[in-house]
Amino acid sequence: MNSLITRAKELLENKSVQVVIGYEAGPTSVARPAFITDPAKAGTLIYDERCVQNLAVYLTKPEVKHLGKMAIVATLPVMRSIMMLISEQQIFADSIVVLGISADGSLLDIADVKVMQGYIEKSDLGNPEKYKELLAELNKLSPEERFAFWQKELSKCIKCYACRQACPMCYCTRCTVEVNQPQWIPVQSNTHGNMEWHILRAMHLAGRCISCGECGRACPVGIPCHLLTMHLVDQVHNYFNVYAGTSEKMSSVLSTFEPNDKESFII
Amino acid sequence: MARIGVFICHCGENISATVDCGKVAETIGKLKHVAYSTEYKYMCSDPGQTLIKEAIKEHKLTGVVVAACSPRMHEPTFRKACAEGGLNPFLCEMANLREHCSWVHEKNDLTTEKAIDIVRIQVEKVKLNSALQPIRVPVTKTAMVIGGGIAGIQSALDIANTGHKVIMIERSPSIGGHMSQLSETFPTLDCSQCILTPRMVEVAQHPNITLYTYAEVESVEGFIGNFKVKIRKKAKSLDEKTCTGCGLCTTKCPQKKIPNEFEQGMGMRPAIYIPFPQAVPNRPVIDREHCTYYIKGKCKICEIVCPTKAIRFDQPDEILELEIGAIVVATGFDIKHADFFPEYGYGKYKDIIDGLQFERLASASGPTTGAILRPSDGQVPKNIVFIACAGSRDPAKGIAYCSKICCMYTAKHAMLYKHKVHEGKAYVFYMDIRSGGKNYDEFVRRAIEEDHVNYIRGRVSTVFERDGKLIVKGVDTLLGAQPVEIVADMVVLATAGVANSGAEDLAQKLHVSYDAHKFFAEAHPKLKPIETNTAGIFLAGACQNPKDIPDSVSQASGAAVKVAGLFSQNELTREPLVAVVNRTAPPMYSTCVGCFMCQSVCPYQAIEREDFKNREGKIVKTVAKINEGLCQGCGTCVALCRSKSIDLYGYSNNQVYAEVVALLNEY
Ligand SMILES: Cc1cc2nc3c(=O)[nH]c(=O)nc-3n(C[C@H](O)[C@H](O)[C@H](O)COP(=O)(O)OP(=O)(O)OC[C@H]3O[C@@H](n4cnc5c(N)ncnc54)[C@H](O)[C@@H]3O)c2cc1C
Ligand code: SF4
Ligand code: SF4
Ligand code: SF4
Ligand code: SF4
Ligand code: SF4
Repeated sequence: MNSLITRAKELLENKSVQVVIGYEAGPTSVARPAFITDPAKAGTLIYDERCVQNLAVYLTKPEVKHLGKMAIVATLPVMRSIMMLISEQQIFADSIVVLGISADGSLLDIADVKVMQGYIEKSDLGNPEKYKELLAELNKLSPEERFAFWQKELSKCIKCYACRQACPMCYCTRCTVEVNQPQWIPVQSNTHGNMEWHILRAMHLAGRCISCGECGRACPVGIPCHLLTMHLVDQVHNYFNVYAGTSEKMSSVLSTFEPNDKESFII
Repeated sequence: MARIGVFICHCGENISATVDCGKVAETIGKLKHVAYSTEYKYMCSDPGQTLIKEAIKEHKLTGVVVAACSPRMHEPTFRKACAEGGLNPFLCEMANLREHCSWVHEKNDLTTEKAIDIVRIQVEKVKLNSALQPIRVPVTKTAMVIGGGIAGIQSALDIANTGHKVIMIERSPSIGGHMSQLSETFPTLDCSQCILTPRMVEVAQHPNITLYTYAEVESVEGFIGNFKVKIRKKAKSLDEKTCTGCGLCTTKCPQKKIPNEFEQGMGMRPAIYIPFPQAVPNRPVIDREHCTYYIKGKCKICEIVCPTKAIRFDQPDEILELEIGAIVVATGFDIKHADFFPEYGYGKYKDIIDGLQFERLASASGPTTGAILRPSDGQVPKNIVFIACAGSRDPAKGIAYCSKICCMYTAKHAMLYKHKVHEGKAYVFYMDIRSGGKNYDEFVRRAIEEDHVNYIRGRVSTVFERDGKLIVKGVDTLLGAQPVEIVADMVVLATAGVANSGAEDLAQKLHVSYDAHKFFAEAHPKLKPIETNTAGIFLAGACQNPKDIPDSVSQASGAAVKVAGLFSQNELTREPLVAVVNRTAPPMYSTCVGCFMCQSVCPYQAIEREDFKNREGKIVKTVAKINEGLCQGCGTCVALCRSKSIDLYGYSNNQVYAEVVALLNEY
């Protein structure tokens, strides 16, 4: 990934950006996020199969934003997250530099949002292959079986909210779960309340989830909560022919009416 | 400590016939925080309201629930009663026991139990109500009248004469509407232009009226008293101030073969034209679609001949932004043309014309200077057939309604024909003669009895051409449905009156309803025939349904009074049931993250941006802010906001939550 390092160094040296968000090797075998502000340290950047985290989550964090203009190492899910964040007015297109990484791991030349959009549009936007099979299996179950499956899974949830923290679209300053006037979602963890939390989270991400899978990967107790939002990705695509993160002007798909929306599901 | 008073209404027997009101009052009376609970036959009556007022004082009530009919019906009544009793009116809630319970269920215990639940919910809600103050909004005392037909003219003049400013928007180059095309008018047969022209001139000269012709409404935002309107003034390709209206350009324009809209296609006009001699304003416009210069890039003859150098080929459309307090819609109607009727040859026979074409033939200023000559060969028709209800009252044609004016103008047409062609024969096929109105039936009788017009009651099945004549085949139902065949020289169809082009589009811009036929809809068919469902927008004339001049003018004056009434106030008060985005201490300022997804779903464009700046003046956060004047309290944004940063006064998250919990809890 020499081209990536060179480019990052260059950006920092000529002060086009103040920080490059990327990956570096961690103490164990995993890669961890790196926030490079010193051009001399650009050499620690890596990009290989260990680099799976959706780095876009850091773009909205005040402590990172604080560093100044950002460059970010961006695979397809990161680029799509960026598109969502621009269309939801959380970041501005001209305040970040995208160091795009193609599916085969090489550095892309993403000059601006239009180029990024072009790249995204050419890519496969459905849920990743590795999850499709699981989703299909869940869909084969009867509603009762499926409910039982989720009840069992979600009963394990400890409400640590790691799934939320990992998701770039969960950038709310105050999440609904932190509202206690009234207390819509109970604080303690119990199966019922856990389900309420997950239904809420899934609905908040309907039409916004870009299928990165980070929420499920973050869960310390192994709940495949990404399958909930990914199922909604399929649903939204089926009904509204929309994939999230494909333009810098996404309309809120569940709350806006388009004359050519399918109405087959309205009873 | 909350002290709630609950008043159960019997609504005569509407509620008490199925709900055990005594039991409801008793059960509710036992609930925590309920200080007083009673029942009464008619809560809305004067004694009923007095009951509330006195109980407020006597029991020191902090909240009131009236369990009666729909709040749509009586919420204002009871809020007012509470205010008179010394309680903030927004501490009063209604529980709908009638529409939501007694009317939809049978008399049994379950019904009474449901009634108790409905009241319980409201008791829990009202405990969390807060005293609210009405919102005051200023009134912009300028009216906009859309459409410059007789209805718009009348409305504009009436409003202007009360001393208020009026902006009139007319999309064609001149005001006047259909009335300017008419020859004589029923039931008096006075010349249409003669009575209309002075009014048109008055509009142009009135100091309170600003007239924009060749202009259309681009967008409308805002609300009663405070509309923000964008107007597109289409380029006339002319400097109206420099032009003297001499008309030289119109005589020199090489394009002379453009069908003249004013003459209903029976005459031609040039590309730069004044639509008719009495036009107001009396200035030409260039029809860019047909002008040689715009088509081929050269010509400019008008520019060369214009003595005052008024032609402006590069003039752009102009967008005006106006602040408007009230709107009168007076965009009129249109009629179907012969091409709508397969049975009459789809418009392929030149001598089958429609009513407006006949008006132009009969008009002294028309293409034949008032002589009735048939279009095909310019001969005087010896036999003429008028077909009433062409399209109207014909569900098969999708027009089930009566166009209302055709019976009268058909009688007028037949009369005018007989006055001009004494030896000619006039026939009228009709379904019924609808001539209700002052001196209307007398007018029709005159046509029949004095002018000897042959009225045949029956429908015409087909008209076709044979040897230069039109064969009209119909039946006479008064002679036992006997077939009738008339060999005619000309046929005039009294075609159905329909909504004007662009009506649907305009209704959507104005956010007012329209009916299945795209006529503008009134707020109530009997009691609010001038209002629309949007406050501050009124209707005048044939844009609502086909109507004649006296009806259009009366309604126009009615609309003017509505506007003047509105403008007699300096401020309007609105219910304070609006949304609010929370504010917290810096550096957070609000839990709102500024995603502005709420902005995209608000149906009333009520959500704005608010910037917070630090001491150096740098924007540190941008969050959503609700414009209280615009917000209608629909709650869409509240449901959308993921971080629950928006709440609705009167229907707060806390209140709704309390209602749900009340329902789930035992009592
Ligand atoms: C053949 C015929 C004969 C008739 N004879 C008689 C008669 O003898 N006596 C009688 O009382 N009635 C008669 N009428 C009825 C009479 O024409 C109507 O009552 C009258 O024209 C209604 O006036 P109005 O202002 O509502 O509509 P219109 O006359 O239709 O005027 C509407 C105006 O609004 C303008 N407009 C439309 N859309 C827009 C827009 N989107 N923006 C801006 N401007 C717009 C139009 O250009 C037009 O100037 C007759 C009608 C017909 C068809
Ligand atoms: S779960 Fe919903 S409210 Fe919470 S952070 Fe995610 S989007 Fe925001
Ligand atoms: S997969 Fe999970 S983390 Fe990724 S966008 Fe969807 S909800 Fe957020
Ligand atoms: S990360 Fe897992 S345990 Fe934590 S809140 Fe999410 S689903 Fe529950
Ligand atoms: S939806 Fe909520 S968080 Fe987003 S801008 Fe509106 S108020 Fe703010
Ligand atoms: S309550 Fe309705 S009208 Fe008011 S700001 Fe929210 S969406 Fe708009």
